[in-house]
Amino acid sequence: MSRGVEIRELMKNFVLTRWSGLRRRVSDVVAVDGISLSVPPGQSVAFIGPNGAGKSTTIKMLTGILHPTSGEVSVLGFIPWRDRRRLAHQIGAVFGQRSQLWYHLPPGDTFDLLSRIYSLKREEFVRTRNVLIERFNLGSFMNTPVRKLSLGQRMRAEVAASLLHRPKVLFLDEPTIGLDVIARQELRNLICEWNRNDGTTIFLTSHDAGDIEHVAERVIVINHGQVVVDDNVAAVRRKYLGAKILRVQFHEVPRPVLLPGVTVLCSSEYEWKLQIDTAITPVRRVTSAVLDAGSVADIAVEDPPLEEVIARIYCESRREVPS
Amino acid sequence: MKQAEKYLWIGCTAARSNLAYAGEVIYRSTFIAVILYIFMRLWTVVYAGAGSQRIGGLTRPQMLWYLVITEAILMSTPRVAAEVDDDVRTGRLAVHLIRPLSYVCGHLSRAMGDRVVRFGINLAVGAVIAFILVGPIPMSLPGLAMFLAVLPAAFLLDFLGMFLIGLCAFWLESTSGLVLIYSRAVMMFGGMFLPLEIYPAAMQPALRVLPFASMVSAPGRMFVNPSFRHFGEAIVIQGCAVVVFAIVVAMVQSIALKRLFANGG
Repeated sequence: MSRGVEIRELMKNFVLTRWSGLRRRVSDVVAVDGISLSVPPGQSVAFIGPNGAGKSTTIKMLTGILHPTSGEVSVLGFIPWRDRRRLAHQIGAVFGQRSQLWYHLPPGDTFDLLSRIYSLKREEFVRTRNVLIERFNLGSFMNTPVRKLSLGQRMRAEVAASLLHRPKVLFLDEPTIGLDVIARQELRNLICEWNRNDGTTIFLTSHDAGDIEHVAERVIVINHGQVVVDDNVAAVRRKYLGAKILRVQFHEVPRPVLLPGVTVLCSSEYEWKLQIDTAITPVRRVTSAVLDAGSVADIAVEDPPLEEVIARIYCESRREVPS
Repeated sequence: MKQAEKYLWIGCTAARSNLAYAGEVIYRSTFIAVILYIFMRLWTVVYAGAGSQRIGGLTRPQMLWYLVITEAILMSTPRVAAEVDDDVRTGRLAVHLIRPLSYVCGHLSRAMGDRVVRFGINLAVGAVIAFILVGPIPMSLPGLAMFLAVLPAAFLLDFLGMFLIGLCAFWLESTSGLVLIYSRAVMMFGGMFLPLEIYPAAMQPALRVLPFASMVSAPGRMFVNPSFRHFGEAIVIQGCAVVVFAIVVAMVQSIALKRLFANGG
C-alpha cells in the first residue's frame, strides 16, 4: 500500500436496539458498505454526500476513532484504529463546529499547548508558527482571547492550529460553515495554498459546493455507505450534467431562437441566459443559431453550478439504491 | 518524560484559563463567608450547649477551620462529568481522540488545573474569614506535609468518580441525575458539614471505608488535627479506592469506546 490513504472493502455496521414495549428489537444498520478507494499523497479530495450517507463514519475510521466491522485501511502506512496515537502525530483535523482553541485564552496559548501535545522541537515549532501567523494573517489577534475573535478570525486560527505539527493528511469537516463570503474565500485560498506548498493531503467534507469547487481536485460522493461517484471535479460536472449554460449579450434586439433542448433561463431585451441539453442539441449548433439571431456583443459558454451537479447525483443515487 | 510534560502543560493551560475568570471565582467564593458565619454561630451554640471544649475531637476554632477546608474542596469541584457527557453527546469526543493523548489523562490534567486555582482562591477567602472569626490555627510542618499528601489523592479520587459518571452518557440519556446523587453523597458521607466522629458510632466504620470520606474529611482532618495514625489510615483507603476506581474507569472507558457511534458529523 502507498503512503497516502488506501481503503479496501471497508464496512461498518452499527447495532441498533429499539424497545417496543417490553420487547427488544435489535437491528443492524449498515453505515459504510464496502468502500474502496485510494488517495495519493498531496491530493485534495472532497468527500461528500447527503446527511447520513456514511462520510463521518468513514472519516472516523480513517482517523482511528472507530473500528470497522471489516475491510482494510492504511493511512500513511498506519492502520488507524491500531496505531491511533502514532497516526495522530501525522494527521490534523478541523471540525468547523467544534473548536480546539481554548475559549478564554489567546490562540497563541493553544498553539503553545499543541506544540507540547505533539512533542514538537521548540525551534521547529517557532518556525512553523511564524510561517502560519504570516500566511494566515494571525498577527493582529494572536494575543486576543478567542472569545473576542470574529468567526472568520477564529476559523483561520483553528486551521492554523491544526497545521502546527505539519500533518501529512488534513481532515476538514465543514471548515467554512457560518463564515461570510469573504472569510470563506480567504480560508479556501489558504487551504489551497497550504496544499500546494506543503504537499498536505486534504480530505474535505462540506455541503458547500464552493468549498469543493475551490479546494478539491477530486470529488468522491458517498451515499448509503457506498461510493457513487469518484472522479475529478471538472469531469463530474461534465459527466453528470449533460447541460451547458450559454450567456449572450446583443448589440440589438435579437430574433428568437427555437431549438429542441434549449431552455431560456432568463432574458432581457439585449441579453439571454440559455440552458442547453447537449444530449439533444450540441452546443455548436446553438451558438451558431445565436450568432445568426443578431449582432453579438459578448458570448460565454459555462458549466452549470456544481451545486446542481451534486443535487442530481444525490437524487440519482437515491433512486438506484432503495433505502 | 515528554508524556508527563504534555499533561502538565494541559493542567497549566487550564489553570491559566481559569484565572481569566479570577474575578468571578473570587466573587463566587465569597459564598464561603456566608456559610462560615452561619456555622460559626451554630457551633458556638452547640459548644455552649454541650458544655465541652471538644466535639468529635475538635475545638471550636478547629471545627471552623475544618469547615474552611471541606468547603474549599467541595466548592472547587470541576465539571468533569458534565464535560465528558457533553463530549459524548455532541461528538466532541472526536476532537480529543484525534490527538496523541489519553482521553482520561487529558481530562485529569485539565480538571487538576481547574481545581488547583479554584481551591486556592476558595482557601484564601475562607482562611481570611476564619482568621477574623476564630484566629489562626496552629500548624506543624509534618501536619502540613500530611495535608498536602492527602489532598491530591482526594482530588484524584473525586475526578475518577465524576469521570465514571460522565462515561455513563454512553448508556444514559442524561447523567445530571447521577451527578446530583453523587455530589449529595460526597457532602453527606464525606463529612463536609460534620466531622465523621460526630456521626453515630454504628455508621462510622462504614463511612470511613467509603471513598467519600477520603475526598473531603481526610484532608480536613489532616489540616486541623493531624496524626500519623489517621494519616496512615487515610493514605491506605485513598490508595485502595484510587486503584479500584482507576480499574473500573479503564474497563468502562474501553467498553464505552467500543460502543461509540459516529453519526451526526
